[in-house]
Amino acid sequence: MTEALGRVLPGLRHRRRIRNALLHLVLLTASVAFTFPFLWMLFTALKTPAELLQGTAAFFPSVPQWSNFVTAVTVIPFFMYLMNSLIVVVLVMLGTLFSATTAAYAFARLEWRGRDVWFVVMLATLMIPIQVILIPTYILYAHIGWLGTRLPLIVPAFFGGGAAFYIFMLRQFFKGIPKELSESAIIDGANHFQIFGRIMLPLSKPALITVMLFTFMGAWNDFFGPLIFLSNPDHWTLALGLRAFQLQFGGRFDLMMAAAILMVIPTLLIFFFAQKSFIEGITFTGIKG
Amino acid sequence: MKKRAQTLSRMKRQENLIGYLFASPWITGLILLGAFPFLASFYISFTNYNMLSFPRFIGLTNYRILLSSDTIFWRSLGNTFYHVSIAIPLGIVLGVGLALLLNNKVYGMSVYRTMFYLPNVVSIVAMALMWLWLFQPSFGLINEVLSPVYRLLDIEPLRWHQDARLAKFSLILMGLWAVGGPMVIYLAQMQDIPNALYESAEIDGASWVRKTVSITLPLMTPSIFFNFIMGLIGGFQVFTIAYIMTSGGPGRATYYYAYYLFDTMISDQNMGMASAMAWILLVLVLIVTMIALRLNRYVVYLGEES
Amino acid sequence: MRTIIATILILGTLAISAGCSREEKSEALTIQFWHLNPVGSPGFSQMRGIINAFNERQEAYFVRGTGFSFWDYWDKLSVAISSRTAPDVGYRTIDDVVARASNGVLHNISELMRNDTSQNNIDLGEFRESQLEFATWQGDLWAMPFSATTRVLYYNLDMFSEVGLTEADVPRTWSELHRVAKMFDRVEGNTITRLGFDPTYGNTHYHGWLWQTGLDFFDDELNPTLDTQGHLDVLEWIIGFNSDFSRGQLTAFGEASEMLGINVFASERVAMIVDTDGLYQTLKQADAQITYGVAPIPVPDEDGIRVSWGSGFSLEMFDNGAGDEFRRTGAWELFKYLLEHDAQIALADANGWIMGHRSAMMEYAGGDPILQAILEEIDYAVDKVFVPYAPSWHGADWFPYYTEALDGTLTPSGALAAARAHLLQKRANWEATR
Repeated sequence: MTEALGRVLPGLRHRRRIRNALLHLVLLTASVAFTFPFLWMLFTALKTPAELLQGTAAFFPSVPQWSNFVTAVTVIPFFMYLMNSLIVVVLVMLGTLFSATTAAYAFARLEWRGRDVWFVVMLATLMIPIQVILIPTYILYAHIGWLGTRLPLIVPAFFGGGAAFYIFMLRQFFKGIPKELSESAIIDGANHFQIFGRIMLPLSKPALITVMLFTFMGAWNDFFGPLIFLSNPDHWTLALGLRAFQLQFGGRFDLMMAAAILMVIPTLLIFFFAQKSFIEGITFTGIKG
Repeated sequence: MKKRAQTLSRMKRQENLIGYLFASPWITGLILLGAFPFLASFYISFTNYNMLSFPRFIGLTNYRILLSSDTIFWRSLGNTFYHVSIAIPLGIVLGVGLALLLNNKVYGMSVYRTMFYLPNVVSIVAMALMWLWLFQPSFGLINEVLSPVYRLLDIEPLRWHQDARLAKFSLILMGLWAVGGPMVIYLAQMQDIPNALYESAEIDGASWVRKTVSITLPLMTPSIFFNFIMGLIGGFQVFTIAYIMTSGGPGRATYYYAYYLFDTMISDQNMGMASAMAWILLVLVLIVTMIALRLNRYVVYLGEES
Repeated sequence: MRTIIATILILGTLAISAGCSREEKSEALTIQFWHLNPVGSPGFSQMRGIINAFNERQEAYFVRGTGFSFWDYWDKLSVAISSRTAPDVGYRTIDDVVARASNGVLHNISELMRNDTSQNNIDLGEFRESQLEFATWQGDLWAMPFSATTRVLYYNLDMFSEVGLTEADVPRTWSELHRVAKMFDRVEGNTITRLGFDPTYGNTHYHGWLWQTGLDFFDDELNPTLDTQGHLDVLEWIIGFNSDFSRGQLTAFGEASEMLGINVFASERVAMIVDTDGLYQTLKQADAQITYGVAPIPVPDEDGIRVSWGSGFSLEMFDNGAGDEFRRTGAWELFKYLLEHDAQIALADANGWIMGHRSAMMEYAGGDPILQAILEEIDYAVDKVFVPYAPSWHGADWFPYYTEALDGTLTPSGALAAARAHLLQKRANWEATR
């Protein structure tokens, strides 16, 4: 909107420049606090065990130990774990997108008997701490023969398992899209599937990207689900496999942080590209008038 | 006339069907995969279950003990209410503010956004260590910065998370630091605001503040409402930050409800009691959420209803 | 958007096709064994060697070992035991064997031993009486001691010689400890930069100090005994040890080390510390450049008892209720193997633990004086009692009151009284659910 302002009133360009400089100052200061722990992780990952133990270097490593990253990649079957993670993450993203968008459309735009009750039930599923339903869930999966497979991590996503957050979020977004758009589509003879596919989904791109980002992060970083539900170590994901570096007795803080950094990098890259779509959103969605 | 009513009722029936059709993946999953664990935990809350032998039915005993003769139950519930009532409003103000700031088209904005999102991705150990260092009363950064203020007011330096009176608030401050998550949702919603609205406002000579107050904020209410409800649900289950930062202390100052539930289950191996706590929590949060949903229609702007 | 969806779809199809893994076939019955050496951890290849050696020496069974990180193992195992999908053999903590034995999730080891007529039956004489006692319920053994640990006093000889002390001056009593410790304290401005000793640093516990006076947390009926003068004396000794400093100074000193991620003993910030054999492993692995030794923890001046808290792991055979005789026999063979002399040495090496098998550990400690000294202390180690109404009495139940007493927000007697009231309420509530 700053740009629009500049276009309308060219005389204010100078004031805009001052405002931008101020903005940069505020943002830069704040971002120092927000990036600090990441730097701490990085520098810890680059230290030698002796440095860490005896505190010869306070914050910066004396000689960066890039080999810690090599170790983290080579002593575990890194690429097998990575592949396993991708299988789970991609399918969970797909499943969640499918089940969350359909349910959100039903809650946002359709009148059906019992809708409001189902909505409250959906919210209620978020309110129970997962620990207390863990054992019954595990017993259920054991009984339907899913143990020893990846199914417990993947199938629920296609049926809205863990999707209540996204259903609610997308419902809020769908509700914000002007109803006139779908009404005029109905007059043109479109059915609900067409409205859903041709109007709602394309217009909710930033929201869908947010859902994808969050599901990616959730599935990528989740070690507890794979830990409990996977019984075959050949199915282990990266998040779980890298836990081998968690402080064992006499553990290695440097290796642990190297592993953590490896986990963080893909998430950061995805976030960086995902948020770019928010800028596109500003300039290219004129149709929403 | 009669024919029209018939068509209407047919359309209504049809929409009923289509509604269920769209919701069917989720409803199927809920019934086939979700219902058993959910109901099982409800049953377990009426039993004595140590996770080793079979649950033994004891009626309402767990609920009676919690409500009538467990002092820590009330203490932890009080701590949780304190946390929720302060953390949510602060979180919303900060999240919306940050999103407004980051919705400007300025060089390097992508990098800023990524940096503000960083706390949501770094390891929890790194996060805890950083905050222990920031809060440390004797040499922490926060007290270093505030030392002129302490001198001016002639008071003792604050002891932050080590002071029973300040510990909850310190953890709230720390939680605010993960505001990047809600921020993303706000940013996404801001993209849905039609540009035409801003353009016509600009023609009327509206300032940035005026546009923010009368266009951006009202149109963001759905996502604010969403983050409010999610804040409620998440706030009542607050646990991890207390677990890593204060171990529930000092004393039991940051011993939250979910922490007590966790200890009841893991340390005491009393799954029956823990399940009863979970269901009490569910009812509590559900009541608060229902009230919020009722108020929602007065506060939240929704395109269709205007 | 469309390209993103398309990419995901293609990736998804690839993922599904890659996800169909092959089932390996084997004639032998597979026995599941869970341990703490996950792929990528330091002891992994040694653990694999130990398991392979068993698989090679017999043909009826194939042992599949799965390693988990120490922080994940307990959750995984708890869920598996509850849902009756536990591995055939695994570790747990020895102090709560009774809970599992009495709930029927373990195989009876005594019975298996009685029915075993082979040459390689377990030699109970190799294991400590004190540990076996914890694995016993209703007269039978339901687990075997696996690892053994204890707490000892580590002292820094470089720092000792700096102030003119030698190994002969290593403190043996509480008052000696205090006198020696005070020689090392160093303060700059308002900040402690070095400390001789503090009874709350390292791996110390209130009940550890308490036991040295001959007292206990509970009486024979498992009632909390916290309201006696003896308790008050011990608590006041702990709080008052470094009374020349404020609690704020002491906390800052401890946290300064923690925040730099450094070890307070290895960095020569304390001259003495009480810790487990784990500290020895840490110092060895990081190649710490200090000269140090270990000694028994100093005891009270009068009637002090040489005792320390020694928790350890037990080796257990989980009974999932399937009644499979062949499987049980296979698990039993593995169980015995893991407790054999040679296997115990290999396990000690893989994990950096001290194992339960005494003569194997004597051999393992060999010419290592520190290991020998720790091993000697294990004979004086006692495990904490299992209290059904408060299994975590030393942690979640006692700790909040302990820290309040240390911080001074409760008086020592106030903290003891509050903790006792808490445990009594807990007991009453527990009994109401029976």
